[in-house]
Amino acid sequence: MTETPYTVVIADDDADIRDLVSISVRKAGLRVLAAVGDGAAALDAIRTNRPDLAILDISMPELNGMDVCRAVRADAGIGDVRILLLSASVDEAAVNLGIESGADYFMAKPFSPREMVEWLAVGKEAR
Amino acid sequence: MTTLITTIRTVVGDALDRPSPLVKQSATVIGVGLALILLVAVPELTVTHGPSFWSSLVVIALATALAALMGRDRSFAKYVMIIPAIDVIGLGLFRAGTGGPSSLFASLIILPVVWLASGDGRRFIAYAIAGTSLSLVMPQLLGIVPNVSAIDWLRGLFTPVVFGLAAAIINELSRQSRAQIQSIKRLADDKETMLQRTVEYAAQLQDSEAKFRAADRMFRGVWAAVTEQSVIGTDQEGLIDAWNPGATKLLGPTADDAEDRMHIFDFHLPEELEAYAKELNYPPGETVLNPGFSALVENARLGKAESREWTYVRSDGTHVPVQLSVTRRLTETGETRGYLFVASDVTQAREVARLKDEFVGLISHELRTPLSSVLGYLELMRDDRENPLSEEQLQYLGVAERNAHRLLRLVGDLLFTAQVESGTFLLTDARDIELGPLVTASAESARPAADAAGITLEVGIPDAPAIVTGDPVRLAQAVDNLVSNAIKFTQRGGTVSIALHASAREATITVRDTGMGIAAEELDQLFSRFFRASTATRNAVPGVGLGLTITKAIVTAHGGQMDVESDEGVGTCFTMSLPIATPADVE
Repeated sequence: MTETPYTVVIADDDADIRDLVSISVRKAGLRVLAAVGDGAAALDAIRTNRPDLAILDISMPELNGMDVCRAVRADAGIGDVRILLLSASVDEAAVNLGIESGADYFMAKPFSPREMVEWLAVGKEAR
Repeated sequence: MTTLITTIRTVVGDALDRPSPLVKQSATVIGVGLALILLVAVPELTVTHGPSFWSSLVVIALATALAALMGRDRSFAKYVMIIPAIDVIGLGLFRAGTGGPSSLFASLIILPVVWLASGDGRRFIAYAIAGTSLSLVMPQLLGIVPNVSAIDWLRGLFTPVVFGLAAAIINELSRQSRAQIQSIKRLADDKETMLQRTVEYAAQLQDSEAKFRAADRMFRGVWAAVTEQSVIGTDQEGLIDAWNPGATKLLGPTADDAEDRMHIFDFHLPEELEAYAKELNYPPGETVLNPGFSALVENARLGKAESREWTYVRSDGTHVPVQLSVTRRLTETGETRGYLFVASDVTQAREVARLKDEFVGLISHELRTPLSSVLGYLELMRDDRENPLSEEQLQYLGVAERNAHRLLRLVGDLLFTAQVESGTFLLTDARDIELGPLVTASAESARPAADAAGITLEVGIPDAPAIVTGDPVRLAQAVDNLVSNAIKFTQRGGTVSIALHASAREATITVRDTGMGIAAEELDQLFSRFFRASTATRNAVPGVGLGLTITKAIVTAHGGQMDVESDEGVGTCFTMSLPIATPADVE
């Protein structure tokens, strides 16, 4: 049986960051199924593609990262998608809010692509 | 008023000086005049001795002239008694010239004798007796009486004695009269003094009234001019009795609507008053009729100044946040008779503060996103194994990265201070931290910078552990800030000493430098956001004025305290005190 590549949906309203995340994901040997610019599109993409992992920016138009997170957790069909939240906010209250909304991981912006690649690769191995 | 005093003085003075010598003398003159008329009219009456008669007239005329003179010139007043004395002699001569012992006019002598007897002092009785005696024996003395009998000599003694008795009575009466006049004079003087004082009081009264009017005008002016603050006065129960235009502007009702009709607590949010009353432990009940109002004036009642935020409720039901100062109003005897409530509308101030924080937050956020891209892509470039960069390119990349990080730190600091100012910075991840290694790490990370700047770095850490509760990352940031500041503000060859001390209750970290120092008048503002000491700007030391604000916020959040001592040109010493986690751990 051929190994299914670890699949990812990316959402960030800043195109450059979106690309940066996509590059890191590919470098880690994972497959980007969709890269979108707002929360509503992210939720659609997750529902359509059923990725293994969703990398979501917290502050996005339409639905923010935490709203998407809650919607995903509330949806039985896609409830098991792993979620990594990205945030430019540094305070711990934001982290806690992200975790409460059902995210699995949290990464602060600016992030190091190198570290993200390492983290994704480890996650892929663990799977 | 002054005119009145002069009038009184004139009236009283005249009464006391009257009758004048001339008036007194007129009795004698009239008496002699009548005698002369009788001498002409009655043939039986004749001049018996010419020389005596004519000289008597001359003597009396002389006395009259003297009287007229003395009446005009007061300086001879004390010699006035010479006049009746001369009269007595003159009348003695007159009697001698008109028949001697048998003269009809002997009785005229009584006139000057009465005057003489009225003199001030008993001696004038003797003078009266002597004068009478002398004038009665005048004919014998002059030798114009041929047969001098013993009766004649006796008359010269007996009549004077009788006259003397009369003189004594007159003397006593005039003494009493003089005493009366004296007391009247004293009364007049007293009256004058009182009047004088009254005049002065009246002037003073007028003066204070003018001052009072000026003060009143000033007060009314100020009262009406204060339109941006609501100033409300109440009695002890909170009933409004003063209401300025500012209160009308802020709350709606006019002074006529509010004064004596409404209470101060009608304009407060009841929930807020209740909450504060609970905080102060005021149970509603018999002892405290209105717990909300009592809470509102609690501090003012105790004579303490209090200023805090409250919500006023306008007459149309809308709310307005105010900064309210409550003070008590005192009676003249120092008892509380009511309260003054001075409130400023802080809607705008709050909005500005909110916008400022929002703005800083937004800007920081907007800066972080592009910085994330910059840093991320720079790193991709550095890590690109397929197209490795040359040494030179790597060096350029390093500069770009270093500056991007510098910007990122600044943005982080801005965000952090915005959180501190808006009160959203809280210690969420507190744990026990040993300060020794933390301080050592800070010093070691600063050593390269110190070496490069030619500054000696001294570190003193005690052997015993000093443990506090807190956020290690933030505390390290606070110490780092102090150490890097000290290095930045110290010239080559200087020294920066970092020391940790621990007592049973608190740990102190001191960072002392031999730098340029801070002006004494700037020490108060040192911890304000964006404040930069004049020594810093003058010496072109880079920075934006956030480091100490952050340091202080971190220390405050840990329940600690920041202190600074500085001597311009000598150096500065920052002391950070933090409460020890569990005193038992420290030994």
